Amino acid sequence: MEAFLPYIPLTFVIFIVIATIYLGIWATKKAKTASDFFVASRSVGVGMNAAAISGEYLSAASFMGVAALVMKHGYDPLWYPVCYAAGYLFLLLFIAGPLRRFGAYTIPDFAEGRFDSPGFRKIAVTFVLFIGFFYTMPQMKGAGITMSQIMGWQYWVGIAVVGSVITFNVAIGGMKGITFVQAFQYWAKMFAISVPVFVLMSVYGGYGTNMAKAVDNPKNVPTLEVGSTIQAPGKPAVVVDQPNTPAPGAQTNDTWMQPFGTLTKKHGYPLLYTYSLIMALVCGTAGLPHILVRFYTNPDGRAAKRTTFWVMVLIGVFYIFTPVWGTLGRWAIPELYATGKTDAVVIALPKKHESPLMGAILSGITSAGAFAAFMSTFSGLLVSMSGALAHDIYGRMLRPNASPESRLVAFKVAAVIIGVVAMALGLLVEQFDIAKMVGWAFAIGAASYFPLLLMGSWWRGMTRQGAAAGMLIGGVLSLIAIVLFMFIDSKVLQIKLHPLVLTLIEQPAIWGVPLSIIIMIVVSKMTARSIPADVDMKMLRLHAPEEMGLSKNYIEH
Amino acid sequence: MASAVMRRQLALSVQVAAVFLIMLFGLPLFNYFFPELANRKMFGFTASWFFLGVLFYPLTWVLSWYFIARSNAMENDIARTLERGEARHEQHEAGEHQ
Repeated sequence: MEAFLPYIPLTFVIFIVIATIYLGIWATKKAKTASDFFVASRSVGVGMNAAAISGEYLSAASFMGVAALVMKHGYDPLWYPVCYAAGYLFLLLFIAGPLRRFGAYTIPDFAEGRFDSPGFRKIAVTFVLFIGFFYTMPQMKGAGITMSQIMGWQYWVGIAVVGSVITFNVAIGGMKGITFVQAFQYWAKMFAISVPVFVLMSVYGGYGTNMAKAVDNPKNVPTLEVGSTIQAPGKPAVVVDQPNTPAPGAQTNDTWMQPFGTLTKKHGYPLLYTYSLIMALVCGTAGLPHILVRFYTNPDGRAAKRTTFWVMVLIGVFYIFTPVWGTLGRWAIPELYATGKTDAVVIALPKKHESPLMGAILSGITSAGAFAAFMSTFSGLLVSMSGALAHDIYGRMLRPNASPESRLVAFKVAAVIIGVVAMALGLLVEQFDIAKMVGWAFAIGAASYFPLLLMGSWWRGMTRQGAAAGMLIGGVLSLIAIVLFMFIDSKVLQIKLHPLVLTLIEQPAIWGVPLSIIIMIVVSKMTARSIPADVDMKMLRLHAPEEMGLSKNYIEH
Repeated sequence: MASAVMRRQLALSVQVAAVFLIMLFGLPLFNYFFPELANRKMFGFTASWFFLGVLFYPLTWVLSWYFIARSNAMENDIARTLERGEARHEQHEAGEHQ
C-alpha cells in the first residue's frame, strides 16, 4: 500500500498531460490553418473565451506561488493576486477598447500599424523574448519542485523531463493556442485549487478559523510536531524531539498577519515597496502580450468587454482560494518554513491528511492543477517566443524570401532552442519565489509595453522615436535593475547598496513606468515632425465605435 | 472629431480609474496610518486582510460592470452623432443587446 501511494499523484499528472495533448491534437485537426484558427474562433462565446483567457493567464505563480508567498510572508503578498486580477480593470479601461478597434492584437502589430515603422517592430519583438524568458523561469521552477514533491526526483530532473515533454509537444505542433483546450485548463485549475481545500478545511477548520489562530495569539509562532523531520538546505536532517519547538524561519503571528511584514519591510521602506509592487502588477497585466491577442476572438467590441468582465470574475474567484492554502499551510505544515520550500505548499499540504490514500488523491489533484498551470503558460510562451523568432527575426529580417516550409522548420528549431534555454534558466532560480519572479516579468512589461500601449492609444503627438526610446530605456533599465538584484540577493555579487536603492532595484516599477512615459513625451516633442501624416485617421480608428467599420485587421498572415 | 470622441472616452475611463486607484493606493496608506483599525478582528480575519483578500475582488467586478454599461451607452450615442443616417439601426441593436 505504502509503496504505490506516490504513484497516485503521478497518475493524475500523466492523465492531465495526456488529456491536454490529446485535446490539442483533436482541436488542431478541426482547425486546418492558422487563419482558420483565428476566424473560426471569432464565433467563440463569451463564457468559453473568458475561461480560455483565464486558463492561459493562471500560471504556476497563481497556482503555487501565491499560496506559498502568503504562507511565507502573510498579508503583503495578498497584493499579488489582487493586482493580477485588478490589472484587467486597467486593461479594460485604457487598452482593450482602442486595440480592439484598431485591429492590432500583438504588440509588434500595434507598433508597426500605429507608427508605420517596421523597424520599431524589431524592438517590440525583442521584448517578447525578454519578458518571455522571465516568465518561463518560474514555470520551470514549479515543474522542478512539483516533481520532487511527488516523485522525490532531484530539482533538475523534474525540469529536464517536464521541459522536454512540453517543448517536444510544441515543436511537433501538438499545442497551439486553442480556445477549447485553454478553457478546459481553466476549469481543471479551478477544480484543483478549490475542491481539495474544502476537504482540508473539513479537517483543519475554515479560512476564518485558521486566521483567528493568528489574530487571537499575536505573539505566537507555529510550532513543529514532535517526531517530524526538518532538513534545511545544506544542513543535515534534524528530528524534532521537544514539544512546542517553534518552526525556524517562521515569523510571529502579528508580523505575519499585519501589513508591512517581512516582504515589504525587509529593506526598511515598506510603503515604497508596496506601491512599486502594485504598479508593476497592475500596469504589467495591462500590457501582457499573450493576453491581448485573445480579445480578437470575440465577435465584437461589446462581447470583448463582457469577456473582460467574466475574466475578472473567473480569476477573482480562483484567487480568493489561493491565500486559504497559505493560511492552512502555516498551521498544518510549518516544517516548510524550516526547509524554505514554501513554494510546494499546495502539493505538500494535502499529503498531511490523516488518511494517506485521501492525501495522495488530493495531492494528485493539486499536482495535476499545477501541471495544467505551467503547461498552459509555458506552451503559450513557447509558441509566442518561437513565433517571434521564426516569423519576425528569421522570416522578416534574415530571410525575407524564405518558403513556408523553411519557416515551419525555423519555428521548430526556435522552439527547441528556446525550450533548452528556458530549462537552463530554470535550473538557476531554485531559491527565488515563483510569484516574485512573475512579478518581475510584470515589472519589465509595465515599463515597456504598458507605456507604449497607453500613450500610443491616447496621445496623438507620439512619434515612433519617442515610443521606441521610452520603451527601450524604461524596459531595459528595469531588466538590468532586477537582474542586478537577483545577483545580489543570491550572493553571486557581493556589493553593499543603500537599502533605498535595494528597494528600488528589487521593485523598479515606481520609477520605471514614469521614466518610460516621460522619455516618450520628451523625445516625441523633439521629433514632432515625424508624427505620421495620417495620425488623425489612426486616432479615429482607435476610438470611433466599431460599428462604423473603420478598423483594419492586422492578423491576416 | 476624433479628439472629441477620445476626450469623452478618456473622461469615463479616468473617472472609473480614479475610484479604483483611490481604493488601491488608499489601502496601504490606511494600513500605515491607522494600524489599530486595519488590524481589528473581523470574522476571524483582520479587517484589512478581509478587505484585500476577499472583498476587493467583488468591488472590482462592480467597477468593471459600471464601466461597461456606461461605455456601451456612450458608444451608441457617439455612433448616433457621427452617422445620423444609421442612428435608428444602432439604437435598435442596442436595445436587443440589453
